[in-house]
Amino acid sequence: MNLALRDIRRDSSRFLLTAVGLGLLLTVVLAMTGIYNGIIKDATALPDSLGADLWIVQRGTRGPFAELSRLSSDLEERARAVPGVAKARSYVSHTVQRQLPNGRPLRFTAIGLSWPDDLGEHLPIIEGRPLAQPHWECLVDRSLGLSVGERIPLGRDVYTVVGITEGLLASGGDPSAFFALSDAQRIQNDASNEAIRLDREARTARVRESALGRDPELVRFSRGSAKRIPALGPLPVSAVMVNLEPGVPPEAVRASLESWQDVSIYSNDDEHLLILGGVVEKTRRQIGLFRGLLVAISAILMGLIIYTMTADKVHSIALLKLLGARVSVILWMILEESLLLGAIAYGLALFIGSFAFDVFPRRVVVENEHRLALLGIVTGISIAASLFGMKKALAADPNEVLAA
Amino acid sequence: MSDPIPAVEARSLSKHYGEGNTYVLALKEATFRIASGSVVALLGPSGSGKSTLLTILGLINPPDDGWLRVGGMEVIRDGVIVGDTNLIRRRRLGFVFQRSNLIPFLTAEENVRLVLDLDRVPRREARRRTWEILESLDVADRAGHLPTQLSGGQQQRVAIARALVHQPSLLLADEPTASLDKELGRRVMELLRTAAREHGAAVLVVTHDHRALDLVDSVFEIEDGVLDAREEQRSE
Repeated sequence: MNLALRDIRRDSSRFLLTAVGLGLLLTVVLAMTGIYNGIIKDATALPDSLGADLWIVQRGTRGPFAELSRLSSDLEERARAVPGVAKARSYVSHTVQRQLPNGRPLRFTAIGLSWPDDLGEHLPIIEGRPLAQPHWECLVDRSLGLSVGERIPLGRDVYTVVGITEGLLASGGDPSAFFALSDAQRIQNDASNEAIRLDREARTARVRESALGRDPELVRFSRGSAKRIPALGPLPVSAVMVNLEPGVPPEAVRASLESWQDVSIYSNDDEHLLILGGVVEKTRRQIGLFRGLLVAISAILMGLIIYTMTADKVHSIALLKLLGARVSVILWMILEESLLLGAIAYGLALFIGSFAFDVFPRRVVVENEHRLALLGIVTGISIAASLFGMKKALAADPNEVLAA
Repeated sequence: MSDPIPAVEARSLSKHYGEGNTYVLALKEATFRIASGSVVALLGPSGSGKSTLLTILGLINPPDDGWLRVGGMEVIRDGVIVGDTNLIRRRRLGFVFQRSNLIPFLTAEENVRLVLDLDRVPRREARRRTWEILESLDVADRAGHLPTQLSGGQQQRVAIARALVHQPSLLLADEPTASLDKELGRRVMELLRTAAREHGAAVLVVTHDHRALDLVDSVFEIEDGVLDAREEQRSE
């Protein structure tokens, strides 16, 4: 005869309600784990999808994902000349937050791909096609909610969505959008007419104040487009991605690149570590703290309910002892109730998570190992919670039956 | 009248509480025998030592000294409980209380079968014996009901069934008729007597209810811890 099930049957609504409450708590614990895993996946998916063997960034920085990095755009050509380098592509990225004409807010990380070497074919495109024109086309992540053919006005230009990627978010959680490099730079450096005029005036004033101002031709030239002024140079890039020729040891190429005094070199694994050790590390600690608190709350809640359930039947436990029940029978009844409560709550958490996590704004990645880990935690807190009840049960005195 | 093989045989059971000024001798060298199938009433005023004797016989509190044999088996020797207390309770003792003390989350049938389940009696055998005794006590039709769905008399009959289903050598009944009306109280005493006869158990009934005395075989009186166990024959 299963005493635990029969005891639960007596007040099944209270038991089930508690299980639902615990289940919701465990859902949040599972969601926290999943969100953290999602952050890691998201943060590393982008560098992985770009497929670089080595990353060249501004000297002393930990860019381009963990920290801002600015490099001269000619570094792409310099890298391409190094023996063993098969391909070098510039990379720019910056966050964009705009509003569509229909009022919908749009926030994404704009990433520049080196046209025509990098059309985005290596990206996980689930709909549409890679870039096919040097301008005014883009690929966007599915999470941005745009569809192929949709047009996005950014600055002075309108860009057409030609492809949809999946699972490519920046480390901050923003969806990625891929443009040709020059387009991405143009979006980043977009300025109003007034700002351009003021910049030109300021530039001309600086020229006039210097010895160069004696040359009227130079002053006139300084009033023109910045692109035509050789001294200002082309716009910087965030990093240069290097791919090696087959069979070339990366250490050798890396050593060559590291001999340059103006850059730092990272492998793709290094980039992973920089990402995970930076923004993600703080998130991990914060989520870990929340998760720990929720587990503690779950344990306390379970302990309280099991203690209350035991206290409610302490007379029955005393009677069981008087009838000659072994202590193990009584303790197993309490442990069984606690484990059952945990099992129902756990099942509920998995069930809720199976559909609720899909509508979370951030990616929630829950794999079997995480489900097993939660099962271990639930089993642990179920056993710990039952100890409160067991202590109460052990103290039940058969004399109470006679005294009553 | 004494039985050559008594269901219960006690010798020199003593128990005290407190020390110094608070010293109380609750039971003084109680010696008695109860034959199988007989019903004995234990009478005495409050604080006379009835409950002390009951808890000693129920192996709830050990005596300071003395010797007790139940169903031919020595269970207390020199004031020490001998053997597995739980096992002795499961196999040789039965309890009936003033209130039915049924486990509220078990049905009538489960309350009775529980005693057999605790002793790991095979399920089929346990069910058969449970139904037999429920039928003999006329509560089989209420077997699937929880205690709260039973009347006071039905609850007490289920409690008696539980106390007897494992065929104990000694059934301890603590004021079993106290909360029942006259007719129901008499019916319960009749049930105890019938059960004692049919199952060969010795029944010790602690009672203040003098109406119950017509239905007992002997009366033990206790006062200030001194038991007068004359084993006087009171009824058929």
